[in-house]
Amino acid sequence: MQGEGRKNLMMSEQRIITRNDQEQVRKTIADLQDQSWPLIPILEKVQEEWGYIPPEFIPTIAQALGLFPSQVQGVISFYAQLYTEPRGRKVVRVCRGTACHVRGGKTILKLVKRHLDIEEGQTTPDLEYTLETVACIGVCALAPNIVIGGKTYGHMNPKKVEQLLGHTKGGG
Amino acid sequence: MEKDVEIITITLNGVEVSGHPGMTILDLAHESGVDIPTLCYDPLLRSIGACRLCVVEEEHSGALLASCVTPIASGMMISANSPRVRERRRMMLELMLASHPDSCLVCDKGNRCELRRIASDMGIGAVELERIPQPAIIQEINPFIERDLSKCILCAKCIRACQELVVNGALDYFGRGFATKPATLGNLPLENSECTFCGTCIALCPTGALREKDTPYRGTTSQVVHTTCPFCGCGCNICLEVKDDQLIRARPGKEGINQGTLCVRGAYGLDFVNSPERLTIPLTRVEGSLEEASWDKAIDIAALGFKHIKEKYGPQALAVLGSPRCTNEENYLLSRFARGVLGTNNVDNGSSLYNSATRIGLGQSLGFLNSTNPLSDLEHAETILLIGADPSSSAPLVEYAVKRAVKQKGARLILVDPRQTELSSFSHLWLRPRVGTDVALINGIAKSIIDEGLLDEEYVSRRTDNFEELSKSLEGYTLDFVERTTGVLAQSIHQAAWLFAQAKEAAIVYGSGITQVSGSSGVMSLANLAMLTGNTGAQGGGIYPLQKENNTQGACDMGSLPDFLPGYQSVEDAKSRRQFEECWGISLPTSRGLTALEMMEEARSGRIKGMYIVGENPALTFPRPDLIREALSSLTILVVQDMFLTETGELATAILPAASFAEKEGTFTNFEGRVNKVQRALNPQGESLPDGEIILKLASRMGFLLPYLSPKEIMEEVCELVPWYGEDLGLEESRKSSTWGSIHQKRLLKGFPRFCPVEYTPKFEAGDGYPFVLIVGTTLYQFGSGSRSSRSSRLAKFSPEPFLEVSDPDARELGIVLGDGVKVMSRVGETTARARIVDTLPPGMLFMPLSSPQNYVNALFDVSLDPQTKTPALKACRVRVERIL
Ligand code: SF4
Ligand code: SF4
Ligand code: SF4
Ligand code: FES
Ligand code: FES
Repeated sequence: MQGEGRKNLMMSEQRIITRNDQEQVRKTIADLQDQSWPLIPILEKVQEEWGYIPPEFIPTIAQALGLFPSQVQGVISFYAQLYTEPRGRKVVRVCRGTACHVRGGKTILKLVKRHLDIEEGQTTPDLEYTLETVACIGVCALAPNIVIGGKTYGHMNPKKVEQLLGHTKGGG
Repeated sequence: MEKDVEIITITLNGVEVSGHPGMTILDLAHESGVDIPTLCYDPLLRSIGACRLCVVEEEHSGALLASCVTPIASGMMISANSPRVRERRRMMLELMLASHPDSCLVCDKGNRCELRRIASDMGIGAVELERIPQPAIIQEINPFIERDLSKCILCAKCIRACQELVVNGALDYFGRGFATKPATLGNLPLENSECTFCGTCIALCPTGALREKDTPYRGTTSQVVHTTCPFCGCGCNICLEVKDDQLIRARPGKEGINQGTLCVRGAYGLDFVNSPERLTIPLTRVEGSLEEASWDKAIDIAALGFKHIKEKYGPQALAVLGSPRCTNEENYLLSRFARGVLGTNNVDNGSSLYNSATRIGLGQSLGFLNSTNPLSDLEHAETILLIGADPSSSAPLVEYAVKRAVKQKGARLILVDPRQTELSSFSHLWLRPRVGTDVALINGIAKSIIDEGLLDEEYVSRRTDNFEELSKSLEGYTLDFVERTTGVLAQSIHQAAWLFAQAKEAAIVYGSGITQVSGSSGVMSLANLAMLTGNTGAQGGGIYPLQKENNTQGACDMGSLPDFLPGYQSVEDAKSRRQFEECWGISLPTSRGLTALEMMEEARSGRIKGMYIVGENPALTFPRPDLIREALSSLTILVVQDMFLTETGELATAILPAASFAEKEGTFTNFEGRVNKVQRALNPQGESLPDGEIILKLASRMGFLLPYLSPKEIMEEVCELVPWYGEDLGLEESRKSSTWGSIHQKRLLKGFPRFCPVEYTPKFEAGDGYPFVLIVGTTLYQFGSGSRSSRSSRLAKFSPEPFLEVSDPDARELGIVLGDGVKVMSRVGETTARARIVDTLPPGMLFMPLSSPQNYVNALFDVSLDPQTKTPALKACRVRVERIL
């Protein structure tokens, strides 16, 4: 009973991980296992192959390396660039640095959230966008700023947010 | 290896002190009586230097060092209390307090909070820093542990405890920076994690971040009593915290076998002592129903009843059944009561149903009667063979030791179990033989060892007897035959032989899967394996038979047995008898008495007329409870002594209310042979009395004043008459491994270890109409017949209703889905349960938990006895299953 609860929660996000997927990950692990600190390279490789690290793989990786699953999760959570949830094709980063903040960054964030219908750290169900906030991105003169898919947009206002992300509204 | 040991001298607070290389500054400070505050340090855990509270100043360099992780170096000049040190400590503490909520006054951790204690020692009250908002209590439904991580100071003690001590790995840090917290996998509630609620982390957490939930009684501890857990044969050292004669909580003791760990039963299952269902007044049968009576009246009825039968039919018409849950002293008294007062050797204890196989098997081959080594030796093994046991639920301390050996010491685990268990993922080789074929498998491994020349020739030829016979007896156990019989691949058998024989030291751990299925043959085949490889007792080698109950070992040591006086001295041997006759001033019966099951049979046939049952519940826990009830109902007099009104008590003429383990003094002997103290923490409930006192009352009413004023006096007598107990009296202080050998040596009977050839006999062959083999076993949240664990409020909340585990293919064939009601039928009985579909069983095999008070699975078992041990098979049987519509 307990095990099932666990599984359901972990799978609530996205794809169902199959036996074949597990096999594939075992191969990835086997390829990289023979080095002194294999965990990080394995995690990076898995993320590269899957776009994120499906939580279902954590026990598999742990077992192979003689670690506890909670330890592997601990390492993943320590690195900002490792994810256990699928990422959107475009990452939306709203700046919450001081300059952007005083020029209404907070409102921009609220609007972006409303348009995408997700919270910080989440990804839209169609896997299009992942929402994050960042500290100053170094173009304070244009504040408030957001970055979408690597491209920076300055002097944001509600209308521009609407233009950039409006098509997604309700499209959850 | 006496060598000149290097000495390192440093100056500590202006005084020169010396230590050994490898010691930390903190170690040396402790040794020299210098106080240094710590929060993340614990001698049981690897030090990580996280909290920085233990800083000291090296005065030459002015460096501030974390003393718990800095090794001493010659010439260091350390100040543990300079102004800079004090300033730094204050800063660290203030930082911790800044993110700590202001709820100390209502925090359940109270005086046990180390953060609060250290802060007040340093005169820090309210903190001026801006407060950092923190998450609140995590919503969890388990009744054991509550987490309020706003109080977490990130000392990682819980994480280390879980990884290093109990090796569950339920927790690790999650997140970065400010957001870092100890969390479970997927950040789920504990009940959905690997956590087994062993309570080890709570005991070590220095703040109120981890605390006990649903405490049976709230209040500030006024007294702490060290005693021994009354559940399984591990015999953990526990500290009972008491207030107003109520049990507040149990904490793990740092000494003894458990070294700071426990399992959920010891940590959260002891509140049965305060159960409202406790018997507090004697009961006697008046016109068919049980009514309250005075002690005088109840004792009168019991004593006069026994006397009458003794005079009219002779002492052989009486029988006594003792219990592996009673203390050594009580079992000794009971043995004396049966033999000296009643005049019969008809005395046995409930553990003989499963324990005789070890006594006979190991006795005949090795001359040992129990575990050859202390548990701590297991961690020195290179290979561990674990067979017929699921210690994760039956003996958690052993599970922890096996996991530590594998994870931390690189031991290799050969697991023999058709079921997948917790330990399967720790094993290097996992063999899944058909149920009942263990002897064939072990013989096959033994033959493989001989054939490949892997045996320890020097040991075998110089230290053992009967090798030729063994070797001849194994001829038929070819890899091919064994593969066909057991279903284990020849290659795996071969691999097991190598893993076991090539290890410098290899240990064997077995449980009721051996004793109750293959009996003494199984035990002997394992002993043969140990002897072949010279693994009969050196550190890291040896044989560990797990015992079910807390005092299985002691009850037998104390002669609650039909054929042995205390110390396994035969009742048929005049010399042994004389020793006791002189001490007790009476003459003793000379022929062996009846075993527990024989007593029941004789009662059914009318030859036994009176029975005294202390702390056992045969009407529920023996095979064929229907027949047992019939037997007990036909007695002229049945006196039952227990804490609760059990199924057996319902049939009694008189019921004598017994005190719980927390209300009495004495000792329990654990499966290692370690003699642990039991100390009184509470007064007996109501009018109940410790079992020993009741036995004395009864004896005296029968005209025998037994001359003991206290359990201690009984133990003194035991020490004179049972040689190896003498050395144990100092109890845990004297239990260093170094003294162990000599104690065990004395128990070695005469002569060399002797190979005992044993043949595999088919069991549980497919029978028509009964296609499945059912295995029963313990679960972690219940214990024994459940008479105590089901009355522990928290364990009861967490233990599942009776269930039957079915493999997926079988379930599909039977048309059963999760949660269906099923009826399980054997040739002799039936029971019902809810189905669980699992992937841990091979098809054809089913599993049910042994105990659930609503529904005892023993109804399925027959009373057919193993010829040598005279014990019934209570572990596995053939059944069929039907879905209940
Ligand atoms: S209670 Fe035991 S198993 Fe659970 S987290 Fe704490 S140490 Fe680990
Ligand atoms: S929960 Fe307790 S033991 Fe664990 S890290 Fe926090 S303060 Fe330390
Ligand atoms: S039940 Fe056994 S392992 Fe658990 S605390 Fe008690 S003695 Fe220790
Ligand atoms: S504060 Fe937003 S870019 Fe600098
Ligand atoms: S006690 Fe030394 S750093 Fe915590």
